[in-house]
Amino acid sequence: MTKMNEQLGAALAAEEAAIYAYGVIGVHLDSDGDVTEARAAEQAHRQKRDYLVGRMSQLKASAAPSPAGYQLPYEVTDRATALKLAIQIEDGVAQGWRPVLPVTEGAERSTALAAMTEAAVRATRWRRLAEVAPATIAWPGRPD
Amino acid sequence: MVLTGAVREIREIGHSRRWLLGTAAGAGAAALTGCGLFDQADPEPPKPPDPLESLLAEAVALATAYDQAIVSQPGLRTRLAPLAEDHRTHAAEMSRLIGKPLASGPAPSASAGPATTVAALRQAELAAQKTAVAACKVAATDRAGLVGSIAACRATHAEALR
Repeated sequence: MTKMNEQLGAALAAEEAAIYAYGVIGVHLDSDGDVTEARAAEQAHRQKRDYLVGRMSQLKASAAPSPAGYQLPYEVTDRATALKLAIQIEDGVAQGWRPVLPVTEGAERSTALAAMTEAAVRATRWRRLAEVAPATIAWPGRPD
Repeated sequence: MVLTGAVREIREIGHSRRWLLGTAAGAGAAALTGCGLFDQADPEPPKPPDPLESLLAEAVALATAYDQAIVSQPGLRTRLAPLAEDHRTHAAEMSRLIGKPLASGPAPSASAGPATTVAALRQAELAAQKTAVAACKVAATDRAGLVGSIAACRATHAEALR
């Protein structure tokens, strides 16, 4: 059970980082398509965060407090850097969920797989918008 | 048909399952008829198929379908070749885990059947994603991540083909 708490906590940290990052990303996007995509993604990450907070509370697991701010890996100054960060964030969220798969079973594992898959699909959508080729990777969720 | 190979594989597994059930029932009946039969050495029970085998067959069939599409429509190479490569990467890893070397399939030829369309490839990816999702749900702990990544990758392929 501790292992599960630990992995759920890591997935939660990835989701919280994503919510923060989309706040920064959104500022640098202006086309309707990009903005709609970013809003939907942020909303999805909020839902996953709420799910994880609820689940961890059921398990009486304590989550590490989310940091007040994040050090971004590079400065986000324009659409190109915003899209680059969006791709990186979604890949990171998929990586945050993958270790949940072996420590869960049945429906709970399916929920984790759905979260990982949705992040991987968003990473592919961002790659297409950023015209990054190829738009897919062989092992979504596996650390680089 | 894009997934002819995979369908055939699944049918074969179906047959062997039925055969296994048949032998199990037969063994039960033999046990009831008396001790005489115990003198005969039990035949080695056939190894049940590895649960990864149907996923592996699908990965090989998908890679072949992409190759076929690229041969008949070379303009799609840039878009489709990386997706075929992902499936080959999955197939290589699964065959390593199962301990069964990959058979090299026939070379794709332009004359072999109707052209595979992008829409048909997308449908095949969605179907293959479903198989992988179901397999992940029941996968052993040490394989859940691998099968989950394969399921997620198939979903991204369907997205890339939209």
